[in-house]
Amino acid sequence: MATDVRTSPVRPARARRRSSQRTTLWAMLLALPTAWMAVFFVASMVIVVLLAFGTTQRDGSPVFGTNLGNFTALWDEVYLRLFLRSVVYALATVVLSAMVAYPVAYAIALHGGRYKNALIAAIVVPFFASYLIRMYAWKALLSDDGLVNSGIRRAGLGDGLTFLNTPWAVIGGLVYGFVVFMILPVYASLERMDVSLIEAGKDLYHSPWRTFFSVTLPATRAGLYGGMVLVFLPALGDFVSAQLLGGSRTFMIGNLIQQQFIGGQNWPLGSAMTVAMMVALGILMFGYLRATATPARET
Amino acid sequence: MSRAKVERKPVAAVVVTVLFFAWLYLPILAVVLFSFNDRKSLAAFTGFSTRWYEAFFHDSALLDSLVASLEIAAVATAGSLLLGTMLALGLDRVHSWRGRAVGAVTLMPLVTPEIVTGVAALLFFTGLSVKLSLTTVVLAEITFSIAYVTVIVRGRLAGIPREVEEAARDLGCTPFQALRQVTLPALVPALVGSGLLVFALVFDDFVLAFFTTGVDPQPLPVRIYSSIRFGVSPAINAVGTLMLAFSALLIVAALLLPRLFHRSSSTRLDLITGGDRR
Repeated sequence: MATDVRTSPVRPARARRRSSQRTTLWAMLLALPTAWMAVFFVASMVIVVLLAFGTTQRDGSPVFGTNLGNFTALWDEVYLRLFLRSVVYALATVVLSAMVAYPVAYAIALHGGRYKNALIAAIVVPFFASYLIRMYAWKALLSDDGLVNSGIRRAGLGDGLTFLNTPWAVIGGLVYGFVVFMILPVYASLERMDVSLIEAGKDLYHSPWRTFFSVTLPATRAGLYGGMVLVFLPALGDFVSAQLLGGSRTFMIGNLIQQQFIGGQNWPLGSAMTVAMMVALGILMFGYLRATATPARET
Repeated sequence: MSRAKVERKPVAAVVVTVLFFAWLYLPILAVVLFSFNDRKSLAAFTGFSTRWYEAFFHDSALLDSLVASLEIAAVATAGSLLLGTMLALGLDRVHSWRGRAVGAVTLMPLVTPEIVTGVAALLFFTGLSVKLSLTTVVLAEITFSIAYVTVIVRGRLAGIPREVEEAARDLGCTPFQALRQVTLPALVPALVGSGLLVFALVFDDFVLAFFTTGVDPQPLPVRIYSSIRFGVSPAINAVGTLMLAFSALLIVAALLLPRLFHRSSSTRLDLITGGDRR
């Protein structure tokens, strides 16, 4: 659209020279960052994939190779159960995040009035301030001699409860860590939504809940779907929550990978785990995008 | 069912929201409160004291880590601002398949679990026999942060009419002059905003630093992690409070930027929602 304005009054030859000059400039601007990403991101990813087919020497140093041993080693009950557990935790995190995020985004977007931006900022600020410290905050609160348990004891409700080392502590930590990724897209789609649709729905269905499920929810589907991906991705790869709030019974893929690289020193096996996780993620995301893209286009 | 008035407040949603805010802030407030406790207890507040802060400021190892983290964040912010802005400008104007491919690759770090990026960086540096140090942390953090800058700057670029730059060209500017004297000044709010955001993210970042750091000095989050793995302590509360306050300050500044630059925009949260696209 801007093109007509730009090209019509200018003499063609000059316009052509200009555009070629400009293209050179833009290409030069792209060159350095592209090279950077190619070296530091793409190349390092390639190394991970290559090393997944490598082996560990006797002295513990990794060497490249062409065997599938690391992948067959992953086909083991211990590892498979851990993989499954990670996916279940990440899915539970997504579901819980959606259940928390939707009402919050809804209340703020449609009833926040002039405090809308302040409320969203109040959610975003602590989120960007240190994930690690926030996980630590939960650990301190829920530990056996923490504030919650001492409160229970002081109120005479018993000897206190064991919160840490349970799956719920880990999943709760993941929700706490990543729920903002759900709130923001849902909030954005609710903000963008035409409020008169809701009014029309109320006239039509006479019930706020029916209006919600047949008008509001479908209209904000895109935001919800987007939020689900944004929560699932970091939740699946996380190892901090399981490390700080859980224990070996609640370890996730992230903990396993981290152990191979930092403690266990079996880098090829760790690479294979990383590749397996990325492949699983890729398949899940592809299926998910295909399943959600079609209905979204209908509206 | 009661006759639905359009204005009616959704009670359930409001209740969830209030509970959510309590859940969000209570653990943080507990950390802040107990950082001022005069005893070691994390359960009973017995009296006000700043002893844990004094302990922190006398712990030279922790202070070294703090300085290291500030240095990492500063250099990584400068680097990713430069590369991210170049990328945003290039991607905004190069519409070939190559441009789109580059755009897709540079957004990849945003959708890759951080542990994968961390592992990849570790293997890359070790493969090249580069000794792990603060420099390797900075390189990894830049790679990770470029995408944030690019997304924010592109959002702002979309709001600047291309004709402005054209006018500068008509007045005799070279493409580079037009870029430097017209487009870049208009990008300043986005640059400051994304700079603050990246600084806060990198300063707090744990996962990438964990995989790419050398031994001494370690970035602050890595050091904190290794001490809280073995339990909680009031000293960590003091460090945590300082980190939370510092990052919160940066983020608040980033969010308030549009007002600072006297720009009326439909939403003050350009930074998060992607700028003036609407």
